[in-house]
Amino acid sequence: MKKVIMGNHAVSWGVRLSRAEVIAAYPITPQTQVVEELSEMCASGALNARFIKVEGEHSAMAACVGAASAGARTFTATSAQGLALMHEMLHWAGNARLPIVMADINRAMAPGWTVWTDQNDSLSQRDTGWLQFYCESNQEVLDTTVQAFKIAEIVDLPVMIVLDAFYLSHTYEPVDIPEQAEVDAFLPKRVARYKLDVNDPHSFGALAPPPVYMEMRLRQQEAMEQALKVVDEVDEEWGRRFGRRYGAVESYRTEGAELVLVVSSTITSTARYVVDQLREKGEKVGLVKARLFRPFPTEAMRRALAGVPHVAVLDRNISPGHCGIFAEEIRAALYDLADGRRPKIHGYIIGLGGRDVKPENIIDCIDRTRETAKSGKPMPREAGWVGVQP
Amino acid sequence: MPEDRDIAHGVPPIAVSSTSTLANRTGSWKYIRPIYQDMVAPCNAACPVGIDIEGYMNLLREGKVAEARDLLLRENPMPAVTGRVCDHPCQTHCNRAFFDDAVAIHAVERMLGDLEPEVRVPIPPRTRKEKVAVVGSGPAGLACAYPLARLGYAVTVFESDPEPGGALRYGIPEYRLPRNVLVREIERIRAQGVVIQCGVQVGKGTPWKQLQSYDAMFIATGARVSRPLALAGGEVADVRPGLDFLREVEGGERRTIGRRVVVVGGTDTAVDCARTALRLGAEPVVVCQGTRADLTANAEAVEEAIREGVRFEFKVWPVGVQTARHTEQEPPLEAIRTMYAEREERERLTGVECVRMTPGEADASGARRALPVQGTNFVIPADLMLTALGEEPDLAFLPPEVTRKDYTVIADEFGRNHPGVFAGGDITGQPRTVAHSLGSGKRAAIGIDRYLRERAGEKIADGDPAALRFGGTGNFSITRWRDDDPIRRQSPVNEVVPFEKLNMAHFASVPGKTDRHRSFEERRSSFAEANLGLTTNEALAEARRCFNCGVCNMCELCLIFCPDVAIKRHPSGHAFSLSYKYCKGCGVCVEECPRGAMTMTREGL
Repeated sequence: MKKVIMGNHAVSWGVRLSRAEVIAAYPITPQTQVVEELSEMCASGALNARFIKVEGEHSAMAACVGAASAGARTFTATSAQGLALMHEMLHWAGNARLPIVMADINRAMAPGWTVWTDQNDSLSQRDTGWLQFYCESNQEVLDTTVQAFKIAEIVDLPVMIVLDAFYLSHTYEPVDIPEQAEVDAFLPKRVARYKLDVNDPHSFGALAPPPVYMEMRLRQQEAMEQALKVVDEVDEEWGRRFGRRYGAVESYRTEGAELVLVVSSTITSTARYVVDQLREKGEKVGLVKARLFRPFPTEAMRRALAGVPHVAVLDRNISPGHCGIFAEEIRAALYDLADGRRPKIHGYIIGLGGRDVKPENIIDCIDRTRETAKSGKPMPREAGWVGVQP
Repeated sequence: MPEDRDIAHGVPPIAVSSTSTLANRTGSWKYIRPIYQDMVAPCNAACPVGIDIEGYMNLLREGKVAEARDLLLRENPMPAVTGRVCDHPCQTHCNRAFFDDAVAIHAVERMLGDLEPEVRVPIPPRTRKEKVAVVGSGPAGLACAYPLARLGYAVTVFESDPEPGGALRYGIPEYRLPRNVLVREIERIRAQGVVIQCGVQVGKGTPWKQLQSYDAMFIATGARVSRPLALAGGEVADVRPGLDFLREVEGGERRTIGRRVVVVGGTDTAVDCARTALRLGAEPVVVCQGTRADLTANAEAVEEAIREGVRFEFKVWPVGVQTARHTEQEPPLEAIRTMYAEREERERLTGVECVRMTPGEADASGARRALPVQGTNFVIPADLMLTALGEEPDLAFLPPEVTRKDYTVIADEFGRNHPGVFAGGDITGQPRTVAHSLGSGKRAAIGIDRYLRERAGEKIADGDPAALRFGGTGNFSITRWRDDDPIRRQSPVNEVVPFEKLNMAHFASVPGKTDRHRSFEERRSSFAEANLGLTTNEALAEARRCFNCGVCNMCELCLIFCPDVAIKRHPSGHAFSLSYKYCKGCGVCVEECPRGAMTMTREGL
């Protein structure tokens, strides 16, 4: 069934098809419609889930932690300040290995007060032990939501699905909504290996002294490594069943490219258009879409970029005092490639706080990268700012 | 835990204990412990009849309508009456009033009273050989006869009027208490085996001696002599006691009266007279010495009277009447000619001369006696003046053993002064409401039961009488007297639970339902019941608003909130069991209990 729906409702539909059992959330622009739609699905009976209203995001995640610990398939959604408020509980969910799924609608952090998109809210939760997927289209949002539950429950790790405020959350696109029976076959009911049970009482999250704590983090890290494989396996199964695949990393028209753009989220669509235009003119330009950010798909990224002479990484985020976060992660991933195989990388800061990223902005990145390349100088370490007032 | 325990690097995948937490006896940490302890709801303690209101509300919440009615009928023989005419102190004391609106208890009681009996209840067996005589079939007399019959006594009620009911029939107008309702309630009492003999004037036509064959006697003849108002010229026939007027109307004399009716007094009788006159086509004016706040009449009845069109003149008092032999400046309405056809021939009332009143200096007791303001005299035109300054008992007929002393009755509800002779209701000094009379009659029934059983040689321990009263100060409970409470209670204490002990976090605000009323147009020309109450479903919804203050109703919040899973539902399903092995005394259950049915006690005490 095809429906024209907004990105936020694509999340809701993904949760509904996944038969989530507990939803605890607090509204925040631009996330509100995600849980608004879910509350209506719960009220109408279309989704048989317990909808818990809470007084803030910290409580929302705390309720999710409780529900997931009790064995329920659990979902929440938030944005920006709300996500930041959840921070303590995000660590808890990650370290407790609870397969909670959350949608974060990327919204820039205040001040200045803002509701518009950039990735700093989700990227600053990088080390909390959550998987992170950055989505490009409403279809991808729905598909990734369902995949997320499956991945989370296989590896016992929480998953965050990330989509841009307004450019995706409030944009209507045609979305193919799979049949419930087909989704049920793909994603059976959650069977928790460990859960709260009054008939077999155990202590959860109790004291872990130095002799055991470190091993628990090691096991978490091993699960993250396992997740890299599971993400691909689940995506492959999804492709078989529903005809759509995304990959942790996607290469687009990179054959023989002299310059490759690395992009994420909705900037990808604009960049595809730019690449198509330039390829028309015979210019050797391609793009790589970074979809999975945690666990970081180092090998896939190396396969995609090794041997490319020049790479421009477009970051809709910034680590103040350093540079764009994707750029830095990619530099680190490619560092030990052999000389000659290691691309020269220039990072750009673009589209912060919801500023529109237009084709000419992307062409500006390409031109500046080419210019430096032509001059023979090394690529600058510091990020280039795109589209800012002089 | 899964059998194939997933251990790697020496740890499980998640932070979970390898052993059961049952090994951790957290109960050893505590120095205080929670207990289940039922308390008394404020409505129960406030009820002059002594009804377990909270108990029947809870049964209704559980859908047990028949059981709820049975519990109510243990304590109150006429819920359909009190549901209509009681000024419901239960509601005034309802804890829910501090939250949103008090529960409409009167409407729930009325609904239960109006239910058709499902099966004809067999007459309780006469298990006692003693006979009891009750003089007076008003609320006190009937409320004494009813439990005595249920306790197995043979009871005969003597009534001087042609019909039973006393003040219920001859004092409360039909628009407040439909007669079919009253008759049904009296039938309910007769169905217990109570014999009611009407037209018997004990002490006058029938000598007291004839009652000597009875083993005990309860006197409840009420107060039916109107207090007089001495006015110059007031001996004219158009100046009459209001109670007589109500009696005539009840007797079927629905003939028209003058259009201009002045009622003197601030009593319930005054308001009843005014509303009755209004229904006969008059334009009544109630004249009161004080302000509206000084009225002794039921506030709701006053409100309804004003809305129906009764005029009140506050801080005014009559000083004289004006009469005329001939001219009729204000003739009675066309329709009323019949009544005073002979009127032309005699002295007729034309107006009541009044004076404005003002509160005087406070006397030693602090009371401010109203004083007339000089030069403020004015005349209210009137065809009829009714006095309603309160009623006194007629004590002239009392037998010598119930001697009068300063117009008070020596006998009482407990037979303390005259073995075998008990008295109650309005002839004793208690508040003059139907509910207080019912309560008085019940207390006397308990007094008589005790007296007769002791006389028969039974040993009855001298218990604390306060234990029989709800909350220690409410009315006596037959259930407590008989010690056969059908409601399971856990270590109950006879204390009223205050609002502060309840936890409002667990209640959603639900506005209370108010009674429906007949339209003013209909009321002005009809004696049909003015207050239509609530529908059965609305009344049941009101019952679900009850907090069940102080009494565990198995809501399970204690169980849900206990962090140690130390609380379990008892296999019986009617209680919780608390494992002190694991309860660490945190007190969350007591804090969360919505109704104050749990309390903390010191460990080891």
